[in-house]
Amino acid sequence: MKYGDKLVKMQGIIVHISDGSVAMDLKGRLGHLTVPMRMLITDYDLKVGQEVAFNISFPEVMSGEVNEKYVSNIKKNNRGGK
Amino acid sequence: MSITVETAKEHAMDHAVSCCRFEAGTIIEPSNLEDPEIFFDLEESGLLKLDEKTLKIGEVLGAKLTKTVEALTPLTADMLEGLNVQTKEVKEEIVGTPTAATEAVAPTPMTTSLNGGMLKIHIGEGKDINLEIPMLSTQGSATAIEPTARIVEVQGTAATTENVAVLPEKKLRTLTKKHFKIEKVVFGDETKIEGTTLTLRKGVELEAVESQELVTAMTLEIITPAEYDTYSETIMDVQPIATKEVDNFLGTGDTRVIDGVIVMVTGVDENGVQIGEFGSSEGILSENIMWNRPGSPDKGDIFIKTTVTIKAGTNMERPGPLAAHTASDFITQEIRNVLKKMDETLVVETEELVQFRRPGKRKVVVIKEIMGQGAMHDNIILPTEPAGVMGGKPNVDLGNLPIVMSPLEVLDGGVHALTCIGPASKECSRHYYREPLVIEAMNDPEIDLCAVIFVGSPQVNSQKFYVSERLGMTVEALDVEGAIVTTEGFGNNHIDFASHIEQIGMRGIKVVGMSFSAVQGALVVGNKYMEYMVDNNKSEEGIENEVLACNTLCKEDALRALGMLKSAMADSDVKGPERKWNPNVKELNLEAVEANLGTNIDRVLNETSIPMSEKRTEKLKTK
Repeated sequence: MKYGDKLVKMQGIIVHISDGSVAMDLKGRLGHLTVPMRMLITDYDLKVGQEVAFNISFPEVMSGEVNEKYVSNIKKNNRGGK
Repeated sequence: MSITVETAKEHAMDHAVSCCRFEAGTIIEPSNLEDPEIFFDLEESGLLKLDEKTLKIGEVLGAKLTKTVEALTPLTADMLEGLNVQTKEVKEEIVGTPTAATEAVAPTPMTTSLNGGMLKIHIGEGKDINLEIPMLSTQGSATAIEPTARIVEVQGTAATTENVAVLPEKKLRTLTKKHFKIEKVVFGDETKIEGTTLTLRKGVELEAVESQELVTAMTLEIITPAEYDTYSETIMDVQPIATKEVDNFLGTGDTRVIDGVIVMVTGVDENGVQIGEFGSSEGILSENIMWNRPGSPDKGDIFIKTTVTIKAGTNMERPGPLAAHTASDFITQEIRNVLKKMDETLVVETEELVQFRRPGKRKVVVIKEIMGQGAMHDNIILPTEPAGVMGGKPNVDLGNLPIVMSPLEVLDGGVHALTCIGPASKECSRHYYREPLVIEAMNDPEIDLCAVIFVGSPQVNSQKFYVSERLGMTVEALDVEGAIVTTEGFGNNHIDFASHIEQIGMRGIKVVGMSFSAVQGALVVGNKYMEYMVDNNKSEEGIENEVLACNTLCKEDALRALGMLKSAMADSDVKGPERKWNPNVKELNLEAVEANLGTNIDRVLNETSIPMSEKRTEKLKTK
């Protein structure tokens, strides 16, 4: 990765909780993230509206080529844009 | 930053570097030396270069500087007089130990970030010196990280049998596994086994659908080795087909098991979203399976593969994945019922597993942390049938509290795993049925394995610590000398994993930790009891490589952990950890274990042995 070195602090709000996952909106209209329960660290019982924070860098496109295998999986499951 | 007398003592064998400018004539004390903990960062940023000429802290203490040195100068013999030579002899003695080296996973500190994390010091004194030193940890972070994983030397295990009276082994119980070979699976009018052919009733899946309210459809496929190159949804679970003989209880008596066929569970919801969907790991079976892991299919196995469709939107709620597993188990149960009636003459192999207690040997407990965060992160404990569903209780419902099981209950399919994400590190139901650590610990004549404890990993930290404290009390009550704690995958489960080790370690019990760590699964927290760590990683890059069961616990890991625990219980010397993941440590440790056992340990293969999927090609290309 060429640009992956810069960590920035990102904040978000928990907007949905299910038995297996937690969904959060990133503050500043910077996106949305859903993670498995296991990937979220919390000292508190989870509630919608709690704020989260994490250090993250920017996703960087690794090459100009598309991976046909993923394309076919996405088409097969009709998951584009989900 | 200078160091204290205690730190100097602890790091006597580490390099000696001046922390500030000191004039000729200074007698070296700990306060003149830089903290070795930050050498790695200093070396990375080019501020410090150490070589073999650099003296050790133990050698320089009390010596007199003959030259004036600047800050961060590695101290060498030509700048000092009155070196402490005694330490040198100790050092040579340690280096000369031929049976070197077991394992370590350095728990990479989560908080370390070189980015922006520069400590800027301005030293006045009219000379305007500006120093920039990378900080070891994030400023003001509440999470103190102690990367304390150590390398232990495996030494002769003779010490473990010292001072111990020879008492006879005590046979507690036996489990007999009768193996039936199946070479062909077909669909037909009724479910039956004739010779080595298993016939599955056409339409059995429709009844399975009926049995579960949340299940709306199911397809059933038979995948033979010739069809390994076909597409599959994400693999949720791999299960043995085994059953108890009439009136036999799980963990004892007779079990019948089919060799050559496994059940594979896959599923989606009505919107086509995979159960436990967090990004794709579906694809061509042969590219996504690490064959012959304890929890995966063996190469050559026939798969009875279910693709379960559950109601839209239930894929992330607890009842959804459970319904998919229960519906699949409906089909397995039909096979089990036939298997129960099979003629004994068709048994191809009889395997007797015996649980011994070994009074007088060092008492050891194995603790397996399993997922308990909810939905697909759940496990059904102690079902009536091996790796079944009925009769079992989800560990989430049991409050994730420690459950004591006999090793034979584990090896008889006492845990049915719903665990769904992290294909490379998840322990499928078949894993527990063939759990290598339980097998090796149970059969090791040098230790007394008293129990296997399963403990769930809840979501919230307060729940984690609640569970962890109970585990500590349970282990205390067992009066063991040693414990091995394993966990599955990575994420917040590493918080309770660390806490379990602390709870056990603080009671004066030696404890070895086992986890997938390497690069991507680096531990997020640590404590001073995490001294003995074994990494389950097998992947080339040290990552979750999306290949089923690639990074799960195998026999080679079990042997390393047991070797390490025995060394620790015998109070062997401890080496410092590597700062970054280094796969060579594992290999050196395996060689040490081999030298000690006098046998060869087969190394398992990794993803390089299977056809490269395009996505992995892509991933490796960009490294």
